[in-house]
Amino acid sequence: MNPQIQKLLGKNGEWLASTGPQSAVVVSSRVRLARNLADFPFMTKAGRLQRAELHRLCREHLLSMTSPRPFFYIDMEKTDQVDRQLLVERHLISKQHASGDGSRGVAVSDDEAFSIMVNEEDHIRLQVIRSGLQLRECWREADTLDNALGQHLRYAFSDRFGFLTACPTNLGTGMRVSVMLHLPALKLAGEIEKVFVAAKDMHLAVRGLFGEGTEAIGDFYQISNQTTLGRSEEEILAEFADVILPRLIAAELSARSVLEQERPLMLDDKIGRAVGLLRNARLLSSEEALFGLSHLRLGVAMGRVANLTMPTINRIFLTTQPGHFQRTLGQPLDGDARKAARASYVRQLMTPSGG
Amino acid sequence: MKCDRCNKPATIHFTEIRDGKSLELHLCGECAAKSGYVQQAHLTMNEMLNEFVKAKAGMSNRDALVCPDCGMKWQEFKDTGLLGCPKDYEVFSDQLRGVIENAQHGATHHTGKTPAATMALEDSVKLRQAELSRLKKDLTQALERESYEVAATLRDQIKALEAALPPSR
Repeated sequence: MNPQIQKLLGKNGEWLASTGPQSAVVVSSRVRLARNLADFPFMTKAGRLQRAELHRLCREHLLSMTSPRPFFYIDMEKTDQVDRQLLVERHLISKQHASGDGSRGVAVSDDEAFSIMVNEEDHIRLQVIRSGLQLRECWREADTLDNALGQHLRYAFSDRFGFLTACPTNLGTGMRVSVMLHLPALKLAGEIEKVFVAAKDMHLAVRGLFGEGTEAIGDFYQISNQTTLGRSEEEILAEFADVILPRLIAAELSARSVLEQERPLMLDDKIGRAVGLLRNARLLSSEEALFGLSHLRLGVAMGRVANLTMPTINRIFLTTQPGHFQRTLGQPLDGDARKAARASYVRQLMTPSGG
Repeated sequence: MKCDRCNKPATIHFTEIRDGKSLELHLCGECAAKSGYVQQAHLTMNEMLNEFVKAKAGMSNRDALVCPDCGMKWQEFKDTGLLGCPKDYEVFSDQLRGVIENAQHGATHHTGKTPAATMALEDSVKLRQAELSRLKKDLTQALERESYEVAATLRDQIKALEAALPPSR
């Protein structure tokens, strides 16, 4: 295992810190920028040698840039499957980057607040993550990093279309703004469909826990802007952070208080069952764990669960993911053996004494 | 992003709720129309003419166009949704117009950040001015072909750009 990845494992990482503003509903905020170098073809048309040269060039400039925080670099070709999976679960690389092939890598800040993928769909995919609702902070740092890199790397840019990207859906700013929302009350109240409809009307994309092509599990939804052209970064941010998100957050919070006032028994039943599941299950799949953790998180956020804190929930959340859990076990286990090990591991973490 | 059914770029995105489970769908205009999700794929006048010409000629010559820099063919883009190099945006500019307008909800021009290293302040003013005159030309054309939605977007962009001249940063 890569020693630098190993160092990350003791912590929850930035996206699961639950320390940011509005963290009862907003798990994390993220701003991503897509960039390509002017003098190279995009990835689809880059041959093996060009790919290697692109990687070398980007890596060299990354390592010499002025960075707001310390970071390290990981060569994906020298990283095993489980470590790649760990990076996906920590939201530091995409699934595509993990499963792809050829020369590619990622720069990760020690505190996991930023990561910069090299040779993904675009030459450079730069992302900044913050706990809770902190989109402007994300953008400020992404902008700084982008400027630092742009000092030395000549980006593909056109006056008319802005930053040129392999896929026209990222054209212009190359910026994707997203938040991970936890919306269990809207789900329980049967109003989650309204959110999808509203999101569609506002030209937003709704995705699951691990981004593009993944399902929404455990009431976690990633919401992001779909258009990247025609508006400035500030305008995209302002609409997202000042108009769209406050409405979504207010809807979830109001659904929570309605549940609290009108259906407290049902609410406590859901939370109690989740506690029961996680404390008593003997065979536990990672999906079941997530499902239970979602209601548990709701209970803790609403002050209806004693003896458990958000950091503990986040810890279970992350460490029961397949890659993390395999590292915890130290050996690959299959089927029921794996589920049994997960159940016993979660039981331990759920015991108030921590024993 | 590619269409779930074929390999064209997905321009229509659904979240379908079936039995309380949500299902994500990303489709291109054609497949969406075929599946009955939308009445008919959105075709601009230009595209309709192109389709007509294509039908008449068997295959249009635009499918035969190749980028001299990277060797990309238009058909390849239609299959993968990904371009081959920065120059493709010039080589396939006619074909891409509709794709970009669809994907970007009618937006046609960048108004955000410009690369820091290559952009002295002076250049940036010149660039914005050049951009402004281009936008105004596009607006006239949009009005001529009665694309009011595009025209409205262009007008907003012109307003934003004018407000930013001289650049504030």
